[in-house]
This record gives sequence, structure tokens and C-alpha cells, in this order.
Amino acid sequence: MDIRLSEEQEMLKNAARDFLTEKCPKTLVRELEKDDQGYSPQMWQEIADLGWLGLIFPEKYGGGDMSFLDLAVLLEEMGRACFPGPFLPTVTLGGLPILDFGTEDQQQKYLPEIASGKAIFTTAILEPGDSKYKAASIKVKAAADNDGYVLNGTKLFVPDAHVADYILCVARTKDSAKAEDGITIFIVDAGSPGITTTLLKTIGGDKQCEVAFDNVKVPEGNILGKLNEGWSIVQNIIERAALAKCCEMVGGMQAVLEMTVEYANQRVQFDRPIASFQLIQEHCVNIVIDADSSRMITYEAAWRLSNGLPYSMEAAMAKAWAGDAYVRVTTLASQVHGGVGIMEDHDMTLYFRRAKAGELFLGDARFHREAVARGLQFETV
Amino acid sequence: MDFEFTPEEKDFQKEVREFMDREVNEGVIAETESLQGAGPYSKELIRKLGSRRMLTPSWPEEYGGRGLTVMADSIFMYELTYHRGPFPLDGVEIARCLLHMGPEHLKKRFLLPVARGEIDVALGYTEPDAGSDLASVKLRAVEDGDEYILNGQKIYNTEAHHCEYHWILVRTDPDAPKHKGLSIFIVDLNSPGITIRPLYTSSGLRTNEVFYEDVRVPKENMVSEKNGGWSFAQNALRGGAGAPDGALRQRFDSWHEYLLGPGRDIWQKNPWVTDEMANYYIALHVHDLLAFRQSAMVDNGMPVTYEGPMIPAIGGPLRKAFFHAVMRMMGPYGQLAEGSKWVPLEGAMSRDFLDSCRQTVIHGANEVQKILVARALGLSRK
Repeated sequence: MDIRLSEEQEMLKNAARDFLTEKCPKTLVRELEKDDQGYSPQMWQEIADLGWLGLIFPEKYGGGDMSFLDLAVLLEEMGRACFPGPFLPTVTLGGLPILDFGTEDQQQKYLPEIASGKAIFTTAILEPGDSKYKAASIKVKAAADNDGYVLNGTKLFVPDAHVADYILCVARTKDSAKAEDGITIFIVDAGSPGITTTLLKTIGGDKQCEVAFDNVKVPEGNILGKLNEGWSIVQNIIERAALAKCCEMVGGMQAVLEMTVEYANQRVQFDRPIASFQLIQEHCVNIVIDADSSRMITYEAAWRLSNGLPYSMEAAMAKAWAGDAYVRVTTLASQVHGGVGIMEDHDMTLYFRRAKAGELFLGDARFHREAVARGLQFETV
Repeated sequence: MDFEFTPEEKDFQKEVREFMDREVNEGVIAETESLQGAGPYSKELIRKLGSRRMLTPSWPEEYGGRGLTVMADSIFMYELTYHRGPFPLDGVEIARCLLHMGPEHLKKRFLLPVARGEIDVALGYTEPDAGSDLASVKLRAVEDGDEYILNGQKIYNTEAHHCEYHWILVRTDPDAPKHKGLSIFIVDLNSPGITIRPLYTSSGLRTNEVFYEDVRVPKENMVSEKNGGWSFAQNALRGGAGAPDGALRQRFDSWHEYLLGPGRDIWQKNPWVTDEMANYYIALHVHDLLAFRQSAMVDNGMPVTYEGPMIPAIGGPLRKAFFHAVMRMMGPYGQLAEGSKWVPLEGAMSRDFLDSCRQTVIHGANEVQKILVARALGLSRK
């Protein structure tokens, strides 16, 4: 066992930290929260030029041929910096599924666009009402029509749909006794007639949308994977994108830990740093326990994925654990910061709000523990 | 980055598992479950392990080891406890301290016999007035020619009744500042003047009071320099505290197996049970990861600071929480004790529930472990 990063990973980490420290200060993070677009197109192009968007795609598509583990290191730095914008959706909700389940044509069309910064991607799964990441909740319909399909229905909580060039829409193409049968993923051009996107207001600072599909035509060639057999791909998308989110959350937890120890050492009350009070010490200890345990399970899952080992169990464990951990960490850290920690202009609140968003992104702890329970052979009747 | 054991470590793990599957018999398990310390079956097992250089795999060959990684030591402990072998092996952790810091003549005398499983050494720290404040120990050692005369009392020395030697922290200078007047001795527990009296916890576990009345100990049995015992005391404690908990994993697995079998109704009628099991599966796993991380860091030459005390800080409460959760899952059956009609799993869970209170006060109270983590994080002390 070895927890050290490779030399390459260290270089990537340091380069990312340097870039983000300089180009993505918290003032910009706050500005972009208020901005409708929610990201800086200029910085998007810069990170494309740095090779970040194409990091894990093959060279032939303009990518860096690096592994998910390398991406994990980058994502951790982004989480630390609260990097705004559709990076995670583009790479893990769009790029990865196309890389692993797309046709040669689809890969050749979309992956270079992602790597070069030209195309922003996202995936639409949840719907209003029964908003669960379960097959039975998929009600958006895709009906066969001439040389393609027509989509009707509404998706909700779609990350960055308002700036996306493409939306992977998870729709029902066939009614079946088993909910998992009859689901198909469509790569939809976001500019298609019939799509209405409404930006939602979130407390997390991220951009999520309602996306209404009104007779939206999609060519047959835009099906990702096989007709009616899309649900297993959806599960895979959820697994890997949720794991990517864990990497971001680990970075956030580490930043919060450091910030909190520093604050506790500096803040003097009763003629002594508050770090010298045991209750404050306990909060910090609980923070590092959560931060480090999340780090270990997240990187274990990422390492397994990168080395061709089964990783579903570990990915579910990571999301279940880290999602709750980040919320605990930011709650405690906020407490240590006292009054200043709840102020809108303090960095603490950026992390606190992102922790909540991260917990809920692509399945909360209970959802992923259900997957773990199934892995332990507790099949629900 | 690598989350697998090395090929050497995997081979060792396989060898240990096969050995344990073969050799950990009903006699050993009964002794472990009895909570009365290592009996004859356990000692036989320990000797067999020692003769195969399995007890201390990371030690140099000249001292009975195999020159493997520190990770191999952790792997061994995990497998031993998972298979319900005797634990703790305080002697091994104590001898490790001797290996790193001890004087040559004592290394030559003790390391090989401990590694071979021929002798065991009990930890002798705690006194009625010195628990968390270990440096307050009063057991007095007065110089007298070639010997020291020891007088005083130790308490909660759990292994003393079945060990050959006692690793004790004594006061050699009552006038020096607390931490600076302490020494460590290795004492033959057969020495005249030593009385061992049993004490029992609520789970029936046997521990001991050990009384020293004018016990004569040769000067050469002083491990530390005179009054230099404090660093030895701390070092010897650290080793055991960071071990991954194979015994807890064994309990999880046996409860899991029970639920999938005779206990089906428990989770099929109560969906929250599967959520709890998933939660503890994850919690045990991350605890193991952090425990193995410590060994990996040592083997990779990385400085270990807060990563060490963090493990018992998590492990003790985790044990408690797990057994509390199992009791809840059992409903009224959890209250039944060993030997009762209707008791599931021979009462192991209720016994461990009672025993779990001990886990957060031994080898350093949980609060102290957390303070050590806090200090290592750089939080101001005053």
C-alpha cells in the first residue's frame, strides 16, 4: 500500500493549485455565483489549453490519455478552490459516458469538442415529483418518429443545462413491467427547437436547471448505447460522476480543515487562542477524521477504477461516506469560526453551501448505502 | 498510489490465513471468548506462530522476524484477531519498543524469546492514581547495590496473570519533575514479593491488580536510562493502538452471516437494518484503510504524526457504536446472556456490547487520543 502521488500527479496537483490560486480567487467564485452563466468562458478556454478538459480522453481525440486517478487529483484541487462552472458535468456526465459507450462516430464528433473547450455537456436524469435516481422515476417519453425520436417531458436539477451545448437526456422509450427495461439515453443538441431551459436558484452556488422538452426531435444516431438498454449506462454515469464529486469534496474538506486550524490558532478569546480549548480541539479532530477517511475511500475507489478493478462497491461507499462527511465537516468548522463563519462574505459559507449540494448530487448517503446493502446481499423484495 | 498489498505481503497474508484456518482450534477460540487471557491452547498457538516467524514479521531475522514490512505486522494482527486468536499480544508491542530503543543486553535476552512466542510480557503502567495522567505513577524503585527495590501497586494490568514478565513504569526520582523521574524495568513476574489479584469487568473480562512488596530487581533489568523512562513508555503504547481491528470485522461478518441466514426476518421486516449494516460496513472499511495507512506511511518513510492517534480515536467509539447498533437490531434478544435459552450467536454480541465500554478507556482514553491528534494538527496548547 502506498498513499503517495506519482511524480506526474504531484506536478499536476501543484500546477492546478498555482493556476487556481491565481486565477480563481474567492472573489471570482462569489461573482460567478451571482452571474447567470456561472462560469468564465475565458477561463474555460484556459483550462482547455492546459489540457484539463481532455485529461482522461485518448490522444487521438485531443486528450491527455491520463487516468481517472489523475483526474481525481485535479478534481480535488478544483473542490479546494470552489472552481465554478460545468467542468465535472462536461467531463464525467458527458465525456466519460461517450468515451465508454459511444460509437466511433460519436466519440470522433464529441470528444475533441470537449477537449478543446468547444462543447459543454451535461446529463438530465431527475424529474419533478418523484425525483429519485431510480428507473421507475423516469417518465420523460421518447417516441419513435420517422428517422428518429421525439422527446416530451420535463427534467429537473440538470447541472449547467443553460450553458450546455449538449444534454444527455435519459428517457423512456418503452413501457415495461420492469422499470429498468425501456430506458434510452439520447445525446440532445441543446439548441434544438422545443427545449426550454429555466435556471433554478440554488443555495449551493451551482447552476441547476429545469429543462422542458416539447416535441424535441433527436436523430436515431444520437442514441448512446442501445435502444431500451440505457439504464445500466445511467447507473455507470451516476457511479463515476458521483465519485468525481467525492474528489471535489475531499479537496473542500482539506481546505476547510486547514482554514479552521489556522482560525482557531489565531482567534484569541479569554486571553488565549480558542485552539487551546478542548471542545474546539474535538471539533478539529472530528474534522480531520472525516476529511481523511473520505480521502482514503475516495482514492481507493478512483485507484480501483483506474486499474481495471471492480469499483462499484467502493464508489458507492465513497459517495455515501464523503457526502455526509463534508456536511459534518462544514457544520463543525462553521461552529469553530463562530460569528464570522456565518457571514455571507466569509469563505466558510462557500464550503458549507457546497457541502450540501455535494451531499445531494447524484444520490445522497442513503441512496448509495442501498447500493452497498445490495452488495452485501441484502436484496430488497 | 496503490491500495493493494505488495506481492510479498499478499503471500504472507495467504500463509497466515491458511495457518490460522488450520491451527486456531475450538480450544483457542473458547479461551479468546472467555476473556480470561491466554490459556494453554492460546499459548500453544503463539509458540507455533513464533516458530514460523509469524508473530513479528517485520523484525530482523536475527531477532526472530522475516525482515518484512511493518504492514506485514498489521496484516498478521488483523488475521490473528479475525480468526479469534489471543489478543492483545502486549509482549510483541513492548518488545518492538525494545527493538527500537532498548539496550543491547536486554535485546539479546528478550527479543528472540518473545518473537518465538516462548515468553510474554505484560504492560505495567496504570495505577489507581495514574490513569490518563500516566506520569503520576508512584510505584517506587529505590537503588540498593546491584538491585532496585520496588514497592507499590499497579492496576488494570490485564495480561499480568499469564505473562512471564512485567514491563513496568516506576518512579526512580520523586524529587524530579514528574516526567523526568521515571524509569522502565522488565521484571520477572515470579519474583518474590509480587502478588497478582484478579479484577473483573462487566463483560466478565479478567484484569489484575499487581502488588509489589519489597521486590528486588537487578539493575540490568532497567530498560531505560535511570529517569529516562517516559519516552519508552510512550513508544511502547503507540504500537498496539494503531492496529486494524480484525476482531470487529469478524463480529460484523458473523452478524452479517446471521442476518442472511437464521436472522432473515430482522432485516426483511425492518429496512432500516440494511441501512445500518451498510453504514457499518463503510465505517469499518474506512477505519481499516486509515489503520493500514499508518503502516504504509511508516514503510514508505513518511513521518506519522496525527495519523497514529487518530486510529484509536476512531476505533474505540466505532466498536461501541457497532455493538449498540447490533443490540438494537436484535431487539429484546440482545439482552440475553451467554448460556441463556434463545440467545443468538452464543451471547457473543451482548458480551461484546458490555465489553465495548472498555475499548475507549484502554491504551489511552479516547479523550487523550483526541488531544494527541489535536496537538499533532498544530492546535495551540495554551
